[in-house]
Amino acid sequence: MSSCQTDRTVPPSCGRWATLRLGQIAFQRHFDRHGFRSTCACVCGRSDMAACGKGLDKFMFSLRLLRNLQLQNERFLSTSVCRLAVGGSSEQPPKFTPPSKPVIVDKTQTVASTRSHLSPEFIPPRQRTNPFKFYIERKDMIRRRKVLNIPEFYAGSILAVTMADPNASGKMNRFVGICIQRGGHGLGATFVLRNIIDNQGVEICYELYSPRIQQIEVLKLEKRLDDNLMYLRDALPEYCTVDPDMKPEPISPTGEVPVNKLKVRMRPKPWSKRWERPKFNIQGIRFDRSLTPEQMEHAQKWAQPWREYDMLKEYDTSKLEEQILSEVQREMSK
Amino acid sequence: MALSQLSRSLTGLFVETSSVIHQRTFSVTAVAAAIQKMTRVRVVDNSPLGTTPYHRAPRVIHVYTKNGIGKVGDRVLLAIKGQKKKALIVGHKMPGDRMTPRFDSNNVVLIEDNGNPTGTRIKVPIPTHLRKMDGDYSKVLAIASSFV
Amino acid sequence: MAAWSCRFLLQRGTQLVSLRAAAESPSHLVGCIRTVKTTTWFDEHLTEDNQEYMRKTTAEEYRRQTAEKLNPLKDEPWQRHEWTEGSRRVGLVAVKLGMVPVWSKTGERHVVTMLQVQDCHVIKHLSKEEFDGHTAALVVGGKNVSPFNRSESQMEMFRNAGVPPKQKVTTFKVSDNALIKPGTPLYAAHYRPGQYVDVTAKSIGKGFQGVMKRWGFKGQPATHGQTKTHRRPGASGPGGDPAKVFKGKKMPGRMGNVYVTAHGLKIWRVNTKYNVLYVNGSIPGHKNCLLKVRDSVLPTRASTLLSPPFPTYFTEEDGNLDEDLYDDDYFIHTEPSLTLT
Repeated sequence: MSSCQTDRTVPPSCGRWATLRLGQIAFQRHFDRHGFRSTCACVCGRSDMAACGKGLDKFMFSLRLLRNLQLQNERFLSTSVCRLAVGGSSEQPPKFTPPSKPVIVDKTQTVASTRSHLSPEFIPPRQRTNPFKFYIERKDMIRRRKVLNIPEFYAGSILAVTMADPNASGKMNRFVGICIQRGGHGLGATFVLRNIIDNQGVEICYELYSPRIQQIEVLKLEKRLDDNLMYLRDALPEYCTVDPDMKPEPISPTGEVPVNKLKVRMRPKPWSKRWERPKFNIQGIRFDRSLTPEQMEHAQKWAQPWREYDMLKEYDTSKLEEQILSEVQREMSK
Repeated sequence: MALSQLSRSLTGLFVETSSVIHQRTFSVTAVAAAIQKMTRVRVVDNSPLGTTPYHRAPRVIHVYTKNGIGKVGDRVLLAIKGQKKKALIVGHKMPGDRMTPRFDSNNVVLIEDNGNPTGTRIKVPIPTHLRKMDGDYSKVLAIASSFV
Repeated sequence: MAAWSCRFLLQRGTQLVSLRAAAESPSHLVGCIRTVKTTTWFDEHLTEDNQEYMRKTTAEEYRRQTAEKLNPLKDEPWQRHEWTEGSRRVGLVAVKLGMVPVWSKTGERHVVTMLQVQDCHVIKHLSKEEFDGHTAALVVGGKNVSPFNRSESQMEMFRNAGVPPKQKVTTFKVSDNALIKPGTPLYAAHYRPGQYVDVTAKSIGKGFQGVMKRWGFKGQPATHGQTKTHRRPGASGPGGDPAKVFKGKKMPGRMGNVYVTAHGLKIWRVNTKYNVLYVNGSIPGHKNCLLKVRDSVLPTRASTLLSPPFPTYFTEEDGNLDEDLYDDDYFIHTEPSLTLT
């Protein structure tokens, strides 16, 4: 993890970093100025050494600030030292050379984002299938991923999918919506987008590896309290209304994915499913708005509290995930 | 600005209270997913027959298919406001093929016997794969406002 | 299971004998050991180390045998003939891996079944007289297994062919010009994308089932005065005139666990490195079951079989095939996304 941290990308604009923490912003500003100076080195001559020293002071101050605030740990230190070394080396040659910025960008691309993430369809289901079958399938999935950029997203993220459609005008169809479900394993993986257009709820189930998909954009990356948001069908329409011309929000490649702790209000019953039942285990509904305490208590009649102690149903995929993640990263970087 | 905020908070209040009050005393079933006989449907064009309120929802009384299940592009016979009227299905609740839209209601457009639409405008998005169905519905497609 | 219980009886029987030998007559005690089998377990008198050694040497032997079959310097192969219309080639024994989706170049989605050809060898040639008097046949086996639980007569067959013992052994009728020497390995490249095959496998057993599930009878209504008659077959035929139930009447009984053939399945893709066939649609049998794949017998699909590798695909001759062979209509995942018109 710490090795990944050292290769953080240099953003094109400061706005993208607005969500980051104070220390990172301070460091970033310092680095931007530093990089700018290095590009001007051929004009200014030696004068920028002082600026470098000044920048170093500022940098040390920001570090001290960080340590005081307990915002970051030792990893950040190593990052910044590495950065400084790279910037300094670009300063040394007397005649103008392109700064080492592209090198850094290259690094970030090969190591991918600092947040290592395995798409859920890579995890094989628990069954007696020969693991070789999943290996062969993974090879095809990786080949497709090299052609089409399939970003990281979760149920609750807002996506825009462009799809080849022979019937649409312009032969392309773009749909923006909130992802309410991810399903399937291997090449058959799907995700469902939902939006409300002209007061009409519309859902489209996309195949993740279908060759008709041209582009998948993540407009807003976030998680919700539940992994499956099918209850949005029965929620008030404002919770799944997305502007089709929405601009993508900046995504930070580091840290945890933000969790939106929104709790939705539901339409009056009947619902498509009895979401209050314990088997759904829904956290993201304000049941107190639509159901009485008696009804909530009544729903507990279907609780199966012994299920969590059923050892036959345990399926720990953490080791498997690590193996597959390393395999996928190795293959993707080839 | 302040007025709009006030109104928003007021509507929020109203919704919150209404959701509690809104418990109906009679039972209502959810809309059927597949379009078959006796399915309640929503008329989405602006024909006077479909837009004027009536105490009984339009119902499908016949589906012109072999298996009796209506999908996008199939014709149905409606009982609407005490009269029989043909209609074209332009969206349904039942999930179809992947990569095709699924709607939250069963949408139909009223058509004459010769296939011409009765209304002049369709208010909701129409699935694009209706285009490949038949050449007969080009007039229906022409009055659609948006495709999805 | 039976063997274990037998062993248990033997051991306990001897103990009983030793305990009670003084008290009672031994002839009475012998009577309580009901089954005394002459066969033994291969590890019955072996220590742990010896067992391990046996296993290791057997695995080495398998590898050596398999590698030897690929040696071009060994004795001459049988005479080869040219492909002619109407010849019947040998088939393969494959393992069912599971199903995956594929996409065609027009963007349509199909599902295929992945079949892996594991250690498939020709084991024996049966001449016309030996087989059924009409055609010659080849015995083909697939998937290596342990030799220790095989009978001597079975092992004899594999030893003659010089291959490890196989889990599944099956017979394919072949025409006289398609004979292959026993011991020849068979590969997935025996089939080429675009051709059609028939797949035979044992369907999943469902146990004893009623007529509604087994034969699709309609049953009887749930209400309207029915008493104990909801899923029953109803009448089983006319009454007094034949005064019998005709043979073959559809009745409740064991369902599944019989050989079923799926005819005319297209091959979408062949992986020559791992010997995987991608066959269109679903195929009888459960996952990891062993099944027979042969050229389709459907007359309408005969035209797809144009100059196949005949009598089979030999690695040493036409060795440099691509890792993956695709059908013309198959969307390969390295291509860019489709733009449809």
